[in-house]
Amino acid sequence: MNAKLAWRNLWRNRRRTLITGASIMFAVFFAVLIQSMNRGSHEYMIDNMARFHTGFIQLQDSRFESEPSLDNVFEMDDALFERIAETHPNISFLVPRLETFMLAASEQQTRGAYVMGIEADLEHQLNGLKDHLKSGRFFTPGEGAVVMGEGLAGRLDVAVGDTLVLLGQGRFGTTAAGKFPIAGLVKHPMFEMNDQMVYMSLPDLQWVVSAEGMITTLLVTPERVRDTDVVAASVRESMTENGEFTVKTWPELMPELLQAIEFDMASAYVMSAILYIVIAFGLFGTILMMTLERVREFGVLLSIGMKRPSLSLVLFLESLLIGVIGVLAGCFISFLVVFYFYHHPIPLTGDLAAAIMDFGFEPILPFYLSGSLFLEQAVIVLLLSTLICLYPIIRVFRMDVLQASKA
Amino acid sequence: MNQAIIQTDRLTKIYNPDTVPVHALRDVSLSFEQGEFTSVVGPSGSGKTTLLNMIGGLDKPTSGSVMIDGVSITGMKDRELIDFRLKNIGFVFQHYNLIPVFTARENVSFIMLLQKRDKAEMMERTEKLLQQVGLRERMDARPKQLSGGQQQRVAVARALASRPKFILADEPTANLDSASAMNLLDIMEKMNREENVTFIFSTHDQRVIDRARRVITMVDGAVESDIATDQKSQTA
Repeated sequence: MNAKLAWRNLWRNRRRTLITGASIMFAVFFAVLIQSMNRGSHEYMIDNMARFHTGFIQLQDSRFESEPSLDNVFEMDDALFERIAETHPNISFLVPRLETFMLAASEQQTRGAYVMGIEADLEHQLNGLKDHLKSGRFFTPGEGAVVMGEGLAGRLDVAVGDTLVLLGQGRFGTTAAGKFPIAGLVKHPMFEMNDQMVYMSLPDLQWVVSAEGMITTLLVTPERVRDTDVVAASVRESMTENGEFTVKTWPELMPELLQAIEFDMASAYVMSAILYIVIAFGLFGTILMMTLERVREFGVLLSIGMKRPSLSLVLFLESLLIGVIGVLAGCFISFLVVFYFYHHPIPLTGDLAAAIMDFGFEPILPFYLSGSLFLEQAVIVLLLSTLICLYPIIRVFRMDVLQASKA
Repeated sequence: MNQAIIQTDRLTKIYNPDTVPVHALRDVSLSFEQGEFTSVVGPSGSGKTTLLNMIGGLDKPTSGSVMIDGVSITGMKDRELIDFRLKNIGFVFQHYNLIPVFTARENVSFIMLLQKRDKAEMMERTEKLLQQVGLRERMDARPKQLSGGQQQRVAVARALASRPKFILADEPTANLDSASAMNLLDIMEKMNREENVTFIFSTHDQRVIDRARRVITMVDGAVESDIATDQKSQTA
């Protein structure tokens, strides 16, 4: 009966209820849209950054974090691959890397270089590296050739077909040096990487640095970016128990990116907060009017024997129902829009598109779609409704029955 | 008539005692028995509504006490009073005060719902009461769809629904036309005679006064006269 009373009270002034519900609906719609665009862009950014740089999850030798040298590599074999792949069903594939710093020299110049031994096909699967090839071709394993960043090639004044000299320290203090023909040049999407990157086939680099069969990091790629934490937890649980390995996720490996995203998210939260403050006042206005115009009715209800908690429950339900109507409508229309743009991201044009393409990324505005997006808005509105209905509830508890029934 | 169900003892109510004191009631001692059909009359400001509010537990006296069926309600806490009113007192208001979003049937059964009565009993009693007040055909109408007289008859049915010890009716005919007022009085009188329901009215309406079997006249917060029209007279 309380619910029936609340529901019918809501429709005593149909227009007012519809206007309030609509204001909540639009607030939820815009809040979902803002959050979806933000999270979509961030996920896209993380996806691109992680794929070209650290990967989403890295497995390293446990000593590598404190001493990232070739002395702290680990052996890569099929058994290890299988063991990791079985830790979580959402692992998509694994990418081995052997990374070290060396001096890269041409006839005229010498520069520091970040040399990465890769399995080119797996690396391409991770980040589409081969699509960033600007000239030449990719090497084949055992060929002893390198592919380097355009920026570094420019600094060293070398081109495809020239020879690059690499000099550095191998495993356990051995000297690692060699001459390598330049098979191709890539335009790496990250500027600093473009200026120092040298790719070599994994077996070739393993031979150069005397670390045959060894890798520094194994990238674990989840099905989706948002699976990172859950996959990392599973890998961590099964691979770190004897202290041999350590597992890192992209926020630990790129804390500056996380900070930038958090800063950007803060502005989205401020926008959403403004939206919600506006609708909170709208909802409060409606509840205030619904309370003030019924003071006498409340007095009568209390006179005939309705208990104050029961009356408060009716008022709470009224506030809650308006919120629920607005949230459901808002979630429904925002779902339709977000669902469409999730599958058809907005293409960017003009200078912004050009700048993004310069980074080697597709110029699109991607959207994020997840149940949590809608759930969060629902929880916020329901919390607001609860908070707002405190006013009539307090009023009912303080109400003088006689004065109220005369109002 | 039988034993007293309401007793007021030196009931006094002073509004604004610290600033401009207004004596709404002065030492009012009255007794009401089961089955009475009583009018409390007097000019505006004479204290009749205040007296009914005290008896109904809606207001607290400055001094004195009210006993209902041997229980003092004067010192009861708000929560106890609400519960007490629900179980013992029926109210009929001048402005009907039905719940506008409920139908006549729901308005009557609502009070039994508050009493947590059995659903079947609730349905049966609701229909019976609405039949008694002549509104069986309008059970599913909302207050807005009923005339003033019909609304007040629903209010009487609602007051009776909780099986109260007595019904307090504050100016029940004040907003009704003559025919509706007479019709309402017929119904209340019939309930009183046939089911021994106690009615206490505050009224200016001569038609109500003429039907009452006891008339209490108040002036300036005190009982000026208390006349039983069946010749058993009392004095203040």
